[in-house]
Amino acid sequence: MVSLFRPRKTSPRLERLHSLSLFVNLTPAELQIVDGLLHEREYLGGEVIFDEGEEGQAIYIVAAGEVLISRHENGDAGGAAHAEHVAGAVHPRRRQGDSGQLAQLGPGTFFGELALLDNSPRSAQARAVMPCQLIVFFRDDFVGLLDTHARIASKISRQLACHLGTRMRNMALAVGAHQHMV
Amino acid sequence: MNGSNHSPAIAGSVHNGSGPVVWAAIIAATCLLLLVFQKMLWLVVPFLLALILYYFLYPAVRALIYRGMSRDAAASVVTLAFLVLVIIAGVALMPWVARQIVDWQNTVERYAEGGMRLLDASLRALEAHWPTLARARLADTAAARLAQGAGSVGDHLEPIAIGILAWTPSLLLAPFLAFFFLRDGRRFKRFLSAAVPNAFFEKTLFLLHEIDRTSRAYFQGLINLTVLDTLTLGAGLWLLGIPGPLALGLTCAVLAWVPYVGSILGGLLVVLVAATDFPDAPGMAYWAVALFVGVRLLDDFVYMPLTIGKSLELHPLVTVLMIFVGGAVAGVPGLMLVLPVLGVVMVIGETIGLIVTDPRLMARHRHARALRREQASSDL
Repeated sequence: MVSLFRPRKTSPRLERLHSLSLFVNLTPAELQIVDGLLHEREYLGGEVIFDEGEEGQAIYIVAAGEVLISRHENGDAGGAAHAEHVAGAVHPRRRQGDSGQLAQLGPGTFFGELALLDNSPRSAQARAVMPCQLIVFFRDDFVGLLDTHARIASKISRQLACHLGTRMRNMALAVGAHQHMV
Repeated sequence: MNGSNHSPAIAGSVHNGSGPVVWAAIIAATCLLLLVFQKMLWLVVPFLLALILYYFLYPAVRALIYRGMSRDAAASVVTLAFLVLVIIAGVALMPWVARQIVDWQNTVERYAEGGMRLLDASLRALEAHWPTLARARLADTAAARLAQGAGSVGDHLEPIAIGILAWTPSLLLAPFLAFFFLRDGRRFKRFLSAAVPNAFFEKTLFLLHEIDRTSRAYFQGLINLTVLDTLTLGAGLWLLGIPGPLALGLTCAVLAWVPYVGSILGGLLVVLVAATDFPDAPGMAYWAVALFVGVRLLDDFVYMPLTIGKSLELHPLVTVLMIFVGGAVAGVPGLMLVLPVLGVVMVIGETIGLIVTDPRLMARHRHARALRREQASSDL
């Protein structure tokens, strides 16, 4: 019976999850619980992952391939979309000279994370640039974690908060530089 | 933001609530399912019991997983522990049950006679107050009808005993099914969501979650309601001095799983026990009736909204109407099954209605299919 509770060896899949910044603080046992909640989806190049204005239900983590984040031209093309997506990438590569396209995200990055916090509409569209594999973490599963495994949820929340903090600093710096240039 | 500025996605995601067509389809599907379920009760009943068992045991499985056990091992350990507990309880209760079975027939006869005496005394008391009833010889007529229609207790016990024996193999399926729900439930959910096209994926995840939430809330609500009913009735019966208050309370609470019919049977049981065990104090039976009515009111207006009603988020009028529809379509099983079935069908119907009527989602699905066709024929 005691051996049942021994720490398990991490599988390559769990190691891959552990390498993601969102789950970096989780133990193997905790990762296994989170792994049971994750979904894997495959998209073809050009396929829409979610649309701007759609109610967000999940956060997406890029396991393979690249995803383009873009925003409709009308209205405020800056703030909100940047808030959710541009700085959402760990190393986003912004496309110059194309105001509709906000970022192109590669493996290890995640997007749509504000959907974990509330059910506000998506602020930009996500589209697969090439065939890609995405890991999906559903909001209600995250909310369930808050109730059932508060420790795991708090670790993920902390990473999310750190991420949003970094993004806000980057945005403040970008706005400051822009004003300085003007 | 005005309408002209909406992107196609935004415009496509504007929905109204479920319309009358969707609701008609939901009610028709519920009735159809009840009809089908009525024909295969041998599978539906153990399936329902397995679901109750699943939601009862799930917190223990979750706790073990959190302590580092794999899901398979946790499901096995918890199911095994539950079965061992049931076997131990069975072995411990066996001598008592054996003793009870010996004089089971006598006990039932005694309580039936107690009930007849109470009915007779009550009717004669009414006749004494209402001359019209006395002229109609109400008490004699009722006694004659009951004596004519009731027959001997043995006549009724035999089919019940045969029914229990016939149902036993089917009921033994329940823990077996519960084990697989505990072990593979999440895999099944992922399997289902994997089969859904990308365009509908988020909506489907939401749908599956809602179904799980609805059924979990219903069955956990049912368990909570049973505990509350048992404790309240048990406490009331104990205060009245009726023997076996907790067992009686539990029996009535379980009977109340069948709306209306179960409550009437439970009330009848309590009155029979009170009338038989206190033959010289008819007031006790009336107190038992008052207690039962009080608990039912408490149940309907306090416990039920706090447990089951709140979970299903159904309009009270729809709830009551559907209970009647369920009873008319599929009898007692219909009464019992109509609310959980309606809850699940409602979530599925509303979500499918949202997906099918969303032009943007349908367009995205068509686009994805075109991309897949293009990819499949790229080197031809």
